[in-house]
Amino acid sequence: MKPNTNTSPIRTAILFVPLLALSAAALSASDPVIDSRPLDLPSGESVVERVNARHDGVTLTRDLTMKLIDRRGKERKRETRGFRKYFGDEKRTAIFYLSPNNIRDTAFLTYDYAQADRDDDQWLYLPALRKVRRISASDRGDYFLGTDFTYEDIKKESKIAAEDYRFRTLRADSVDGHTVWVVEATPISEEVAKELGYGRVVLWVDAKIWISRLTEFWDTRGEPLKTTRSLEIREIDGIWTSHRLEVDHHQTEHRTIFTFSEVQYDLEIDDNLFTEGSLRRGL
Amino acid sequence: MRSHQSPVSSTAHRFFHRVTAYPRTLITLGALLVIGAGSFLPSLTTDTSAEAFIPKDHSSVVHRDEVKELFGLSDPVVIAVVDDDADGVFDPDSLGLVHWLTREVQEIEGVNPHRVTSLSTENDIIGTADGLLVEPFFETPRPTHAESLEIREAIEDFPLYLGSLVARDFSATLVIAELYDPDDGDMVYQRVLDLVDRAPTTGQELHVAGEGAVRGYLGRYIDTDARRLNPLAALIISFVLFLAYRTVRGVILPNLLVLAAVSVSVGAMAAAGVPFYVITNALPVLLIGISVADGIHILGQYYEEQTLDPTAGSRELTVRAMAEMWRPVTITSATDIAGLLGLALASFMPPMRAFGVFASIGVAAAWLFSLFVLPNILVLLKPQSSPAITTRGAGNPDPSDSLGFDAFGRLTGGVGRWVARHPAPVLAIGLLVAGLGLIGLGRLEVNEARIENFRHSEPLYQADQAINRRFDGTNTLDVMIEADSVEGLFEVDRLAKIEALQRHLEHHERVRGTTSMVDYLKQMNRALHEDDASAYELPASAQAAAQYFLLYSASGDPTDFEDIVDYDYRQANVRASLDSGLYSHNKPVVEDLQRYVDQHFNEEGGGLKAKIAGRVNVDYHWIEGLASSHFRGLFIALTAAWLMASLSFRSMVAGALAIIPVVLAILWIYAVMGFTGIWLGVGTSMFAAIAIGIAVDFAVHTLDRLIVLVRHEGLTIEDAFARLFPSTGRALLFNFTAVLLGFGVLTTSQVPPLVRFGSLVAVAVSSSFVASLTLLPALVAVLRPAFLRPKTPVSLPAETPIEQPG
Repeated sequence: MKPNTNTSPIRTAILFVPLLALSAAALSASDPVIDSRPLDLPSGESVVERVNARHDGVTLTRDLTMKLIDRRGKERKRETRGFRKYFGDEKRTAIFYLSPNNIRDTAFLTYDYAQADRDDDQWLYLPALRKVRRISASDRGDYFLGTDFTYEDIKKESKIAAEDYRFRTLRADSVDGHTVWVVEATPISEEVAKELGYGRVVLWVDAKIWISRLTEFWDTRGEPLKTTRSLEIREIDGIWTSHRLEVDHHQTEHRTIFTFSEVQYDLEIDDNLFTEGSLRRGL
Repeated sequence: MRSHQSPVSSTAHRFFHRVTAYPRTLITLGALLVIGAGSFLPSLTTDTSAEAFIPKDHSSVVHRDEVKELFGLSDPVVIAVVDDDADGVFDPDSLGLVHWLTREVQEIEGVNPHRVTSLSTENDIIGTADGLLVEPFFETPRPTHAESLEIREAIEDFPLYLGSLVARDFSATLVIAELYDPDDGDMVYQRVLDLVDRAPTTGQELHVAGEGAVRGYLGRYIDTDARRLNPLAALIISFVLFLAYRTVRGVILPNLLVLAAVSVSVGAMAAAGVPFYVITNALPVLLIGISVADGIHILGQYYEEQTLDPTAGSRELTVRAMAEMWRPVTITSATDIAGLLGLALASFMPPMRAFGVFASIGVAAAWLFSLFVLPNILVLLKPQSSPAITTRGAGNPDPSDSLGFDAFGRLTGGVGRWVARHPAPVLAIGLLVAGLGLIGLGRLEVNEARIENFRHSEPLYQADQAINRRFDGTNTLDVMIEADSVEGLFEVDRLAKIEALQRHLEHHERVRGTTSMVDYLKQMNRALHEDDASAYELPASAQAAAQYFLLYSASGDPTDFEDIVDYDYRQANVRASLDSGLYSHNKPVVEDLQRYVDQHFNEEGGGLKAKIAGRVNVDYHWIEGLASSHFRGLFIALTAAWLMASLSFRSMVAGALAIIPVVLAILWIYAVMGFTGIWLGVGTSMFAAIAIGIAVDFAVHTLDRLIVLVRHEGLTIEDAFARLFPSTGRALLFNFTAVLLGFGVLTTSQVPPLVRFGSLVAVAVSSSFVASLTLLPALVAVLRPAFLRPKTPVSLPAETPIEQPG
């Protein structure tokens, strides 16, 4: 299938109404943190609900530097400019590589569909071949473009697919001086665990801004898999935003560091940016 | 009565009187030395690896480690699944088995689960109409029949895996497990064998091999049999010692010397942090030979003195014996040490150096105990006679001697008489042997293959053969290519150079396949051109190459290429698989590769450097070094031994006569090796050191006795022979028999290297013994050298015809 090029602004707006409403509903819901009994932990589901309810803008533009480090400390540094826009509950993302030279103008486009049974679409434009190549539907647990993030991690950004896990709040804790709820997420079935590549996830969710500051992953065999840290969290346009993500893969000793800059929410982005033609044209 | 008449011995007498003044103190000091040295033994480490033979800073080891570090490549344990059905391994049962084995191997302790490679872990790169698909060949535990055939087609389209992961005729496939620590090789090998035993096979054959298994198992394989046979050897040696003098102390005392020499020597190794190498197994053999000699000769003299003067006390007997024997014992020790240190000096291989140095320490310890501890033990014991040595027996033809010997003494006496009368034929045979030795030397093959250490019926041997027959081979040769800049390998002309190198390597018969990043780029290029077979070629630009890898990363794992190219695309590994581990097969490949690499890479401004690495390269340098070091070491050791013997006897000719039996013994071993096709390899090269040590002992004792008899007692050479053979000759006979039978036991081993070692030690001691007792006296009889002219005018002129009863 070809990238959608004719989404009307009206349809987008209509599609957005329920999403906004949902966010509002979540924000006004009874706040478990302000519970009078401090020993009473909020339920795992409610914490995750708050995390997923965080507003993250209809559009987003940002510069992303990906630093990939192998176990011997050798680095690959890739600079990109990224765009993301919600088309209703469909999310489209375009990433343009700026450096290194050999992959400059390479561009990646993805359409994430809300329907669980519909495979996401992904394309990569290779300037050396002057061809857009479709990347076959990857497993959710596959690694994204040589990073330690899986496609699922990238797709959900800092959120969690509530339907995949059962949640349980373990305790209150603190990370870098911030109060957090420690929530354990267990895949609902072995099948889901296999798909995700995770047997268990523990999130240290900030109790104020609802971002997981620290996330630990275990593989399906119960071995420690990787640790993700959300750092340099600052408010941009009223939205709490991590400017640095670090992943340590415990089994391959590979590391990924994402640094974000020039982050801007809700800028006007032309729908045509998220098309094959635009990949070819470049920035 | 002869010994105390000897003019040289009066000082010696006084000296040993003093030595034996405080027997308990000296025995205690000796015991403390043995216990002290022995206390280090628990800290002794072993190192049975091939790399141990090459200095740590040798380029082959440095490069090998670099490749290991950069690309994470290590010696694997390999399971081959063989299915000779029409479909080969591409049926549901066999692929299911591969899946099962892969999962189970990943669970084995010591195996790096991320570095287990099989059809069920690897990704296929498939071209589609509008893209590229990277996905596992199969994911389900048991693919269907149709899926199995699809996997087979996918493999046919993926040349990289043909010959390496799947046999070219599809009859077999591998599960390759890399280890965290190569020292776990044996443990992992045993666990994989257990796994294979309970594997759900349906007619498939399973073989377990791989360098990890071979290396891990080899040490234990040899040790187990050596441990079984060594006590037997000790028993046999003790029995021969008993036969020599038929007394208990005749057995115990030489054994005490062996204990002292071995524990001081090996204890010193442990204290110095030097590990026990494969060839160190020869160290106890040598020390047993030398210590037993010291003990036998001293005791022989003691019993002779006792027989001559039955009323003498313990101390007097001991002092008399020592006054006679300290000199030959000292000269043999000094000559052995000179030879061993020469061997150490000449070798660049750490285990050889260690052998020379620590064997010298052992010889010195045996000398020290022979001169200072053993006499004190004898002093504390009651005087004792040996039933083997009596007064004036029928076996003694020499009217001037009052000693009588048993059948063994009469036997050696007979040999002596024969040699004295027929020196010419003895010399002729000697020359013939030397000639045969030179011919044998010409036919001697320097060679080694680790796998040949296993008996051919051993499952590991068979597995290795099966895998090398069906696949490209388990022996790896690496070329590490390094560009001058980050992403420098993507340049098209450089990729083309790597490809040309691979094609060049593949011209060799033994090189059955090569892999590098070039193969993956070609596979991706093809996939990106709608799987068109004609597009199996290098991408057109550096940008394309870089973008292919990025595209691949969209569906592959971040670490997928870590074993072939480094993370910043500056260093790549080209790996060639050879189907033989034999030095003679791999030598031309390595040497040609070195020439090629020097010519096409490494030039100034070329931007690409290449280094040769891999196990085949390490083994090549190891054996190459072994051969040159063997001959150089032998030459230097013989020269050093000759100089030391010359110095001791104060005559270059005497020194030369002491060395001739050694040279002949070594030539004879070459003849045996050359004509029976035994390779000069790691284990077999050690016979030289043993031959030098033992043959020098035999020759020096013979020569020293001759000098004493002729120069100091004024006997004619012929009379001296008549005295020498029944007494010194008899001692040599038992020394020889003890070592021969003791280590001859090794030839009953199931382990080929032990059999070879045992037989060569047997050949070495036999030829040394025969040469010392025949060739040496024959040479003396014919040459009548100046150093054997009597000091005192008592004797008849040397030219006087032999006046002995027939």
